[in-house]
Amino acid sequence: MKYYLLLLLLISCYTWGQVIPQNGTIDSKPKFVAFKNAQIIVSPTKTIENGTLLIEGDKIIDIGLLVFPPEDAIIIDCEGRTIIASFIETISSVGLPKPTPLNYSSRPQLESSKKGAYYWNEAIHPEVEADLIYQIDEKANEELIKMGFGLALTHVNDGISQGTGALVSLGFENVNKQIVQPKSTQFYSFEKGISQQTYPSSQMGSIALLRQTFYDLRWYHDSKSSETNISLDKMYESINLPFIFQTADKWEILRAEKIAKEFDYQFNYLGSGNEYEGINELKNIKNTIILPINYPEPYNVKDPYISRLIPLSDLKHWELAPSNPFILKQNNVPICFTSLGQKSAENFWKNIRKSIERGLSQSDALAALTIEPARILKVDTEFGTLDKGKKASFTIYSSNPFEGEAKLLESWLLGDQKVIVESVKHTVSGKYNILIDGKKYPIEITGEGDKLAGKIFTTTQKSDLSMDSVTQKIFVQLVEDDITLQFNIDDSNWKGSMSLHGKVSSKFGVFEGDGMTPNGKWVQWSAIRNDRLETKKTDAKINKIDTSFNSKIWFPNMAYGFENVPTTETTVFRNATVWTNEAQGILKEATVIVTNGKISFVGTGNFTIPNNAKVIDAKGKHITSGIIDEHSHIAISNGVNEGGQAVSAEVSIGDVVTPDDINIYRQLSGGVTASQLLHGSANPIGGQSALIKLKWGSSPEKMLIPNAPKFIKCALGENVKQSNWGDNNSIRFPQTRMGVEQVFYDGYMRVQAYQEEWAKYSKSNLEGKIAPRKDLELEVLSEIFRSERFITCHSYVQSEINMLMHVADSLNFKVNTFTHILEGYKVADKMLAHGVGASTFSDWWAYKFEVNDAIPYNAAIMNEIGLIVAINSDDAEMGRRLNQEAAKGVKYGGMTEEAAWKMVTLNPAKLLHLDDRMGSLKEGKDADIVLWTANPLSIEAKVEMTLVDGVVLFDSERDYLMRSHNQQEKARIISKMLESNEKGEESKPFFKKKSRHFHCDTIGEEGSEEENTH
Amino acid sequence: MNYIKTLLFILFVGQISAQEKQSILLLNGYLHVGNGEVIESGLVGIRNGKIDLVRNSLAYTFNKEDWDTIIDLQGQHIYPAFVAPNSTLGLTEIDAIRATRDFDEVGQYNPHIRSQIAFNVESKVNSTVRTNGVMLAQATPRGGGISGTSSIMALDGWNWEDATISQDDGIHLNWPASASESGSIEDANSSKRKENYLKQKQAIYQFFELSKRYASLSEKDQNDVRLNAMIACFKGTKRVYIHANELQQLVDVIDFSIRFDLPFPVIIGGYDSHLVTKKLIDAKIPVMLVRTHSLPQNEEDAVDFPYHLPAILQNAGVKFCLQNAGDKETANARNLPFQAGTAMAYGLTEEQAIRSISLSTCEIVGIDNEYGSIQEGKSATLFVSKGNALDMRSNQVNVALIRGIFISTNNFQQELYEKYKKKYNK
Repeated sequence: MKYYLLLLLLISCYTWGQVIPQNGTIDSKPKFVAFKNAQIIVSPTKTIENGTLLIEGDKIIDIGLLVFPPEDAIIIDCEGRTIIASFIETISSVGLPKPTPLNYSSRPQLESSKKGAYYWNEAIHPEVEADLIYQIDEKANEELIKMGFGLALTHVNDGISQGTGALVSLGFENVNKQIVQPKSTQFYSFEKGISQQTYPSSQMGSIALLRQTFYDLRWYHDSKSSETNISLDKMYESINLPFIFQTADKWEILRAEKIAKEFDYQFNYLGSGNEYEGINELKNIKNTIILPINYPEPYNVKDPYISRLIPLSDLKHWELAPSNPFILKQNNVPICFTSLGQKSAENFWKNIRKSIERGLSQSDALAALTIEPARILKVDTEFGTLDKGKKASFTIYSSNPFEGEAKLLESWLLGDQKVIVESVKHTVSGKYNILIDGKKYPIEITGEGDKLAGKIFTTTQKSDLSMDSVTQKIFVQLVEDDITLQFNIDDSNWKGSMSLHGKVSSKFGVFEGDGMTPNGKWVQWSAIRNDRLETKKTDAKINKIDTSFNSKIWFPNMAYGFENVPTTETTVFRNATVWTNEAQGILKEATVIVTNGKISFVGTGNFTIPNNAKVIDAKGKHITSGIIDEHSHIAISNGVNEGGQAVSAEVSIGDVVTPDDINIYRQLSGGVTASQLLHGSANPIGGQSALIKLKWGSSPEKMLIPNAPKFIKCALGENVKQSNWGDNNSIRFPQTRMGVEQVFYDGYMRVQAYQEEWAKYSKSNLEGKIAPRKDLELEVLSEIFRSERFITCHSYVQSEINMLMHVADSLNFKVNTFTHILEGYKVADKMLAHGVGASTFSDWWAYKFEVNDAIPYNAAIMNEIGLIVAINSDDAEMGRRLNQEAAKGVKYGGMTEEAAWKMVTLNPAKLLHLDDRMGSLKEGKDADIVLWTANPLSIEAKVEMTLVDGVVLFDSERDYLMRSHNQQEKARIISKMLESNEKGEESKPFFKKKSRHFHCDTIGEEGSEEENTH
Repeated sequence: MNYIKTLLFILFVGQISAQEKQSILLLNGYLHVGNGEVIESGLVGIRNGKIDLVRNSLAYTFNKEDWDTIIDLQGQHIYPAFVAPNSTLGLTEIDAIRATRDFDEVGQYNPHIRSQIAFNVESKVNSTVRTNGVMLAQATPRGGGISGTSSIMALDGWNWEDATISQDDGIHLNWPASASESGSIEDANSSKRKENYLKQKQAIYQFFELSKRYASLSEKDQNDVRLNAMIACFKGTKRVYIHANELQQLVDVIDFSIRFDLPFPVIIGGYDSHLVTKKLIDAKIPVMLVRTHSLPQNEEDAVDFPYHLPAILQNAGVKFCLQNAGDKETANARNLPFQAGTAMAYGLTEEQAIRSISLSTCEIVGIDNEYGSIQEGKSATLFVSKGNALDMRSNQVNVALIRGIFISTNNFQQELYEKYKKKYNK
């Protein structure tokens, strides 16, 4: 091919050429270029065999079978080659500087350190515009070009509102020409990025911040505010551009989608590769998901001590990830591909072909790289296909790369040619016969690249005339085409050092050249390979297409997941001891019937067994309503505390519920059916709670209890004061209990002012009036003062408990629940007067100073006084044996068994205002039911079955089977990995992450292994 | 004798001070000996701090005048004192307050660091632990490679000397993590994990090599405080407690113990010990098992795996006992009986479960000739519970004795309870 490459000169731009002054006479260039005899893949649906493509400057002016190039056209014969439109990379930072933090400090930075009239939070910077700072980076461009890309949407990947991206052509000259679309898209994410500001510190914080920003944007514009905010001005300018929202997990797409709906925006997404795991929900996404295809490498599983520790979820993802594009496409979700995370072009194509092997059609794969990105960037009139009139941006391959391995030969970028010269890498290993000055020896060369070695086999005559074979080492060096061999020889021909230099033709396995013999003679030599050594290269052809993987998804896609999520069945439990939690008390030999997810019968009287009912004989066993954990932090992703500010009422745990937490299953196995997922206790007014049912195998949205009462977490004491956070954390208000009180008064004052402003607005003649700024934090706080939102308040010592009740009384609101409340026994009478309930630990204490007077009799005293008392976990481990914790009420303070049991069932239901649907066994209530082997308070009690809304989500029999099923599934996938390991394919080592759990004072997005928390 | 609850029918109390060793006769108790045996109507006679009589109440006639105190237990349960091994009881008071944390010394190899002298006999935490039947503890240093030397202490006493049951019973070696992240910066590069492990392991070998050579010298030309503390480990008067959970670690620990011919190696943790039971039996290495009330360490492990683990080892014939290290380990030590209870629910018999927190523990730490069971000749360190002490509902300690002396079955928490009950007139 070199013959015509050499003929061609770089063709530069016509349109703008005149604007840039030229030093010397202008470059000579052809006006027309015609590519003949090529396979032209015009678009995903149209291919021309033996066609001609004619370009003039940066435009395609003709394409087809019968194209007659003008006489002055340069003709390029593309016989046997394939031409495909340039791919468009949507996620890239080529040519842009790496963002660096403005400010480092070990002390918390509460305010923005960015100078200028920008938004108050450093993670919101829509003013970062890629086109203003784009510079051509040849090396980075070339990496993309080698994969087949000709255009890239480049942006600075940092922060929540990241700014705009510019669509650039990947050409190397004339930056003005390369920026195809200066303001192409706007980028967002949930990641705070390099900002050192304390807020936000959690994903729910990011969500709230972004929502507030969008509200601010509207208000700022509508109100024609007299203030200047550069960030909001810039955001307003770009708000009609296409959105790309970067996500790191399937559920983040749903979280972003909620924001899009709220503001009526259309988000496109950068996916994370595990979208298939949530396909039942994600199939409703109408906009495009840009998919990274950096499928996980297999682990090195040769050591069974290590491989046994690899979680099943990791293994299953490894197996299923390549099916992700096909599964989405099958469900009509529009997809793009990005090369994000690809180590090399070879790897990129390997993964494209892997996607095709899993069922994705070649044309869909092509569309995901061309017309789909062109469509979302609104450049489909110019790019994406090779139709007449479009831009001359395409790539020439040695053959169709979607069908098998092909060489990328050259890339045409807006009519400019870029030849890809691969440095030649000869494979020289093998067995040869070398002929030096007419003498023949067998040699062997092993290794590759710059790690070559060799051996020469000679024979010497010994003194007794017998022959002795000797093997000598050869030093081998290969630079491009030049090979040098150097070895010692001692036989009848020569004695001493032989040095040879020659040229390689590895295709034919021939070396030839000249060199110096030990006696100083300059001789000719050659070598011919007669046997190649092992070649490890894997077949780059598309293997058999296999779509059977789709059925291997479990819900959730991990150990104990369901292949098919079960549904409710009509079930009759007979002959059980039934703890009703109602006036009937504990019934012996009683029956419980579940129909349509509800309890339809409880009692010892007559009943009829409904049709098709499953009848379970529960003789000798106990049945209770499900345990309700009033205080839990499981099933939450990316942070349980928004501790960046003293008040964070705007954040909601409901935004970040995740169903993929194995602790959901573990707690079901302990009889828990519902939980209040609370914000942590890092600040006086925390975030909104999520009230969930433990629906294993379900989606985040379905776990939320419908029409649940609204709750918010408040907190007092050491965590709020940051007492145990180290000496650097002494800046954020409040640092004393005295300050905590004032946070509540301050919140009230701000709400008053806010409400007045809105009241004034709604009373006035609305026409022409501008609505006041909507403040998400104050909206939620107003709900508290309007008694529309209940407070669960983390508290320990009597002074602060007393204080908050005084604050509440004086501001005319109620505290619903004090949680932890370990000194509640000291002020139980005052609590009763205020009308607050208590959710406490059975016997925790001694972990910090404020729990020094905690006593295990606390629950019993408060119960005796007449408070509604619950026992909660606040701990993933304890959450699955809350029955034992309730039983401690009998030991410490002599509660009756029924009263003790209510502390983990009916009482938390009352505290959560869910007792009309949960908390007892009563006709009409939700069928959240636990079947126990023994008295649930006894140390012997085990859960046999847990039903949530009538669906059996834990069954000890299935559990038993799943234990071995999990191991079989593991073994099956590990053996596939082992196969890959044995083929010598790339692999990564496994090491086990410590399991992390959220507690009350866990800061940041990762769970902690910290002790002394809560 | 105000310690003894009115529930009990006290037949006779002589005039003596609380500190004197009395002769005491416990009658009609449901006696859990601790070695697996039960005497349904048991009688225990105590003199000079020792148990000198264990009989069936129904078949034994006694002379009232022979005893200072006679208590008719009316069927209540008698247990040997429960023991909390591998614990920081007495070494910390309030976890979050650094000033009260006395268990983690600076340094990689600290065999010379001794817990005994830092043990706080007046710890409020300890007072709430012994009232659930847990009356002895192994005060154990934490951190580093070799954390230090533990001692077995009674959870009541006038001073640490007085409270010492067994001084310097063993050193605690934290085996490096083989497959899980250790949190160190080098580990961020996971490919180095294995290499790091080998390096760390090598360092331990080197230290033991050095120590062993030092121990074998009859005359030492240097006097090394660390190495002096190691001598007893090779002579068998100090145990070597090796904290390890992962399979790779366990296999390596077994090799290590054999290589250095350690007389008394003990594994603490042993999450994966069910996979190497035969090796453990052959090498005669007992295990202090990972907290029963802990979460499974792997996603696909049986949900109740830690509950089951004691029974698995019991059935395999591995010597084991329970321990409670972990989150809030001091305050939680009072729940050790219920952890044994859970182990009972998941496969141990009741008496096996009791043994796993009494006699087995004492055997493993080497104090079983005096403690761990209610047998003639042993120290009268035992307690009486209203009902089954392994069940939350019936664990109610009414009488407790350490070395034949009544200890308070009251604690400040009960006092606060009484005080506030009065406030509310309940």
